[in-house]
Amino acid sequence: MVTQQPKNKRIFLAIAIFVSCCLLSTIRIIGNAPRPAQLQPDTVAKRSDQRFASLKAALPAHGVIGYIGESGVAGTADYYLAQYALAPLVVDTSDDHPLVIGNFPDRPNPPSPLDLKLIRNFGDGLLLFSNEKAK
Amino acid sequence: MTLALSVFLCLASGYLISALGWPRRPSQSDFLALSFLACGSGLGLFSFVYVLSRAAGNAHLMATDVAIFGSLLVTFLLTRNRRPVHLAETGTGWPPGFAARRTLTAVFLLALATALYASITRLIVHPHGEGWDAFSIWNLHARFLFRNGSAWSAGFSPLIPWSHPDYPLLTPGAIAHFWTYLGHETQAVPAVIAIVFTFATVGLLFSSLALLRGRIAATLAALALLTTPFFIEQGTSQYADVPLSFFILAAVSLLCLHDAFAETGSDGTKRLLILAGVNAGFAAWTKNEGILFLAALIAARALTAIRKATRGPQRPIASATRKVLPLLLGMAPALLVIVWFKHFVAPPGDLFHDRALAIHKLFEPARYGVVLRWYAKEFLRFGDWLLIPGTLILIVFYLLLNREAEPPAPGLAGGFATSYFALSFTLAGYFVIYLITPRDLYWHLRNSLNRLFLQLWPSAIFLFFLLITSNVKKSAQSSEHFPP
Repeated sequence: MVTQQPKNKRIFLAIAIFVSCCLLSTIRIIGNAPRPAQLQPDTVAKRSDQRFASLKAALPAHGVIGYIGESGVAGTADYYLAQYALAPLVVDTSDDHPLVIGNFPDRPNPPSPLDLKLIRNFGDGLLLFSNEKAK
Repeated sequence: MTLALSVFLCLASGYLISALGWPRRPSQSDFLALSFLACGSGLGLFSFVYVLSRAAGNAHLMATDVAIFGSLLVTFLLTRNRRPVHLAETGTGWPPGFAARRTLTAVFLLALATALYASITRLIVHPHGEGWDAFSIWNLHARFLFRNGSAWSAGFSPLIPWSHPDYPLLTPGAIAHFWTYLGHETQAVPAVIAIVFTFATVGLLFSSLALLRGRIAATLAALALLTTPFFIEQGTSQYADVPLSFFILAAVSLLCLHDAFAETGSDGTKRLLILAGVNAGFAAWTKNEGILFLAALIAARALTAIRKATRGPQRPIASATRKVLPLLLGMAPALLVIVWFKHFVAPPGDLFHDRALAIHKLFEPARYGVVLRWYAKEFLRFGDWLLIPGTLILIVFYLLLNREAEPPAPGLAGGFATSYFALSFTLAGYFVIYLITPRDLYWHLRNSLNRLFLQLWPSAIFLFFLLITSNVKKSAQSSEHFPP
């Protein structure tokens, strides 16, 4: 009984330290959470589903289409979001397809490659081309 | 109405799968564990049913779900175990009195409320998931499954290798299943599935430890997980790492529960091994890392059986076969679906594309040093804790409580050892993957190692409290002060 009490104290101390350290990280969980005043959805829907809605209506329901766009990290994100919006179409980063979409959200005057024929400009940097030389 | 029906069929079928594997008439504590297991089993079943229905051209999804639920119910009623069986080891061994327990419960509820608040607000702000993988892999695959009709497999194309078309389909399949019931897509479905997996993992950790080690150990363990900021962030990111961590924890905890039940000498405990195998199968159907865990679990189970047999009169191979077979039986459905998916639907993954280069990389000593250094660094920071790493907290906790390390209680030695080896083999497997990765090593480590550690974190906490409470109990056994 005499030796047990220090053991009990040690266990209480261990639990107290453990709980305190755990609670410290709760501060980070709260700190990283969005504030109630800022509960606005991010831009994923705007940059994918909403942006590509009119273009999607002009595309076939299934199959593979080509894709040209910006390079770099921002260009990669734009491409992924295009694929996300246009699924179940498979969007291939190549212009070697009968239908090719151009995605240049940050350019007021998007480029028109010479070997592609513009079918329609949807605005906001979105273009639909045809490629007659596609295999 | 259809939404309510789909939720009922999912959870009730999941409950019946878990209850079929339970070796006794469920007590109140058992019911809690079974309910959390039901969340994972139900979603796993829904995923299988959806993908296989798509593959078979079956358009009658609701009828299929009702038929499966009916079959499970009939099987359960015919085979359920009605006998009460007591666990070999359910004592707590923890000394705090009633007041301390209430304080601990209050702290736990505070942490739970904080985590719930953070999860819900994150999901409101990021309805399509947080981070690229959510929309470029998991939710994209769900869209392919739902939108493509009979041509469902066309989306898993080698033309878009960045979407990892070889990844298993547990979460996309479950999402698409609910969308089919609703008749349209809504981001509420992946968001709710994410939150269910996050909190079911905490619940399963709590309830399984409560069965084996009492409420105080269970509360401390659940608190350690709930206050891991990266777990809460990842849980709501709509990635598949937290669902995978759920199934790994389910397999590990069921294995340990099996050994605790087996210690009583009761019949029917093999059902728990089959159920552990089912959950390991779901892990393999969640992410490729789950396939590695499944292989690690089989190897670990065989190894511990052989080790035990070599010390006694049993024949090692026969003993290992006997121990592994129920697990394999539980894994079999998932394994068959995965083999079919990998062979007939998905293009090859990118990791093993150039085998000669992979083997060459294995002989580059510098890569070992880099991966080891990152393992050491991430061990202390993967949880994104504030000031004091959770892993360090556990070590300090261990040192304060266990001055003389002892092995776990005899009834748990097999399950504990198997789980410990399975997690260690999985970590070693991740190590080898990094050694041979065709991608830039630093990029690969930076973008994935914290998530790989997180996959094993709930199971590591579970094993830690299993071990440490065993020792606390031993040191406390003779005390007159401890309330029961």
